[in-house]
Amino acid sequence: MNHTTAEQVPEPTEPLKYLSKKEAAVIEKELLNEYRFGHQQLIEIWGHACAHAITKAFPLSAFSKKQPTVLVICGPEQNGSVGLVCARHLRIFEYEPTIFYPKRTQNTMYQDFTTQCEKMDIPFLSYLPTEVQLINDAYNIVIDAILGTESDHGEEQEPFTSILTTLKQVKIPMASVDVPSGWDADKANADGITPEVLISLNAPKKCAKGFSGKHFLAGRFLPYDIQKKFDLNLPEFPGTDSLVEL
Amino acid sequence: MSGIRALLGLGVLVTTRCARGGGAYTRRGVCPAYSGWGQLNWACPKVGISTMETTKQLKYLSQEEAQHIDEELFTEYRFSVDQLMELAGLSCAVAIAKGYPAASFPRQSPTVLVLCGPGNNGGDGLVCARHLKLLGYEPTIVYPKRPNKPLFENLTTQCEKMGIPFLPELPTEPQLIDQAYNLVIDAIFGFSFKGAVREPFGTILSTLKRATVPIASIDIPSGWDVEAGSPDGLQPDMLISLTAPKKAALLFRGRYHYLGGRFVPAALERKYQLNLPPYPGTECVQRLL
Repeated sequence: MNHTTAEQVPEPTEPLKYLSKKEAAVIEKELLNEYRFGHQQLIEIWGHACAHAITKAFPLSAFSKKQPTVLVICGPEQNGSVGLVCARHLRIFEYEPTIFYPKRTQNTMYQDFTTQCEKMDIPFLSYLPTEVQLINDAYNIVIDAILGTESDHGEEQEPFTSILTTLKQVKIPMASVDVPSGWDADKANADGITPEVLISLNAPKKCAKGFSGKHFLAGRFLPYDIQKKFDLNLPEFPGTDSLVEL
Repeated sequence: MSGIRALLGLGVLVTTRCARGGGAYTRRGVCPAYSGWGQLNWACPKVGISTMETTKQLKYLSQEEAQHIDEELFTEYRFSVDQLMELAGLSCAVAIAKGYPAASFPRQSPTVLVLCGPGNNGGDGLVCARHLKLLGYEPTIVYPKRPNKPLFENLTTQCEKMGIPFLPELPTEPQLIDQAYNLVIDAIFGFSFKGAVREPFGTILSTLKRATVPIASIDIPSGWDVEAGSPDGLQPDMLISLTAPKKAALLFRGRYHYLGGRFVPAALERKYQLNLPPYPGTECVQRLL
């Protein structure tokens, strides 16, 4: 159960489920086809929750730089569009996001998300500096919304291989959306990037088992029937929050 | 939040009260916080008084302005209806949770009744109902007139699949409603409402008016003229204005007025001079009254 009711609800004794890439895809398909959630609706829900997670992990007061700058790196698929929505909500929460969105899929929905960000006066970088110091100096944190469960490990192409190399050397904290980019969703990547914060969407993936940083779960919206069907055993969500820290 | 913005927030609350009291606050150097009028107990820093004089008032929209803003959000800013409806419905659920915590209900089960109209206001109600379920309430929906559009069909399915029951019609005995539900959410008509109320909503509204259970209205108390209000219309206990309040909200006499729909781009806010007070932290709602 993920809400408090008047009756006594026993704490779930079953452990939290870590999804395989395949299970994650099946759940998403069911949400769209059977539960009739809209694509844009889901991405909005996830992006909004990601922004909330960022404000919990990195409150404005904790930033050392004068401006609350955040670099959001968006990949070409769904993970990237979640990053776009996250950036937009961060702007509303008075952060100063800058987006780097080098490769864009020809998809009206993703284009709309891009326009929404542009119209919120969020700047888009035309290139990512390869001088890591420049990134360290300009931004407080980096949000990795490059690759999610949809990509296959080992199939990264440019410009993402270079971007990931740069990210591995960056000194400022990093938060990854759903899966640290470059990791296989089923297995942690010892050579990959090491984010300080992970925001799992729906349920954590197998690669997150043993993740040592701050781990948030954006899954409150999941219908109970899906939670039961896949034995997700999600923890309780506090108050009216759409996410919980694991 | 900078000092100036904090002061603007302060000033806006003050001038909102002034507008309700019938007079606009314009005099230099007089701070209503000390006039003993209203429950304004916060300290007013003297250094801010001249700033407060130039404070801009929270805008109460005309029907036309509300429609233009809506249109611009979709055409120019490229938001999709389901995107904004999700945020709007969430705001409503959170406002309700703040005003009527489930634990405070006298009845054993935190039952709420959600009345959904034939348009977007009804859609907001469907999203609100789904979030209320996630927050631990037990919503029941009455949705007699459903648009033949995928958006509304999908929202309905999402509710059904969350185990939210749909009543075929509203009981015409107000006592039945009072006995069964702790709160009624009025998501019948919104800011596009004009003209006569068609059935079954005429009967629904007249039943509601005779019920004693508190009512929370989404955006506009249904049946009210969006600008002039309605003296013998619904008298809700809570109003949740979305995006910005409409002129009818000036006539709202209930206990709780919340503002929700925290998605307005700064450029749009500037264009229409909405002068929205700042939302606290990451909250998606704020209490105006």
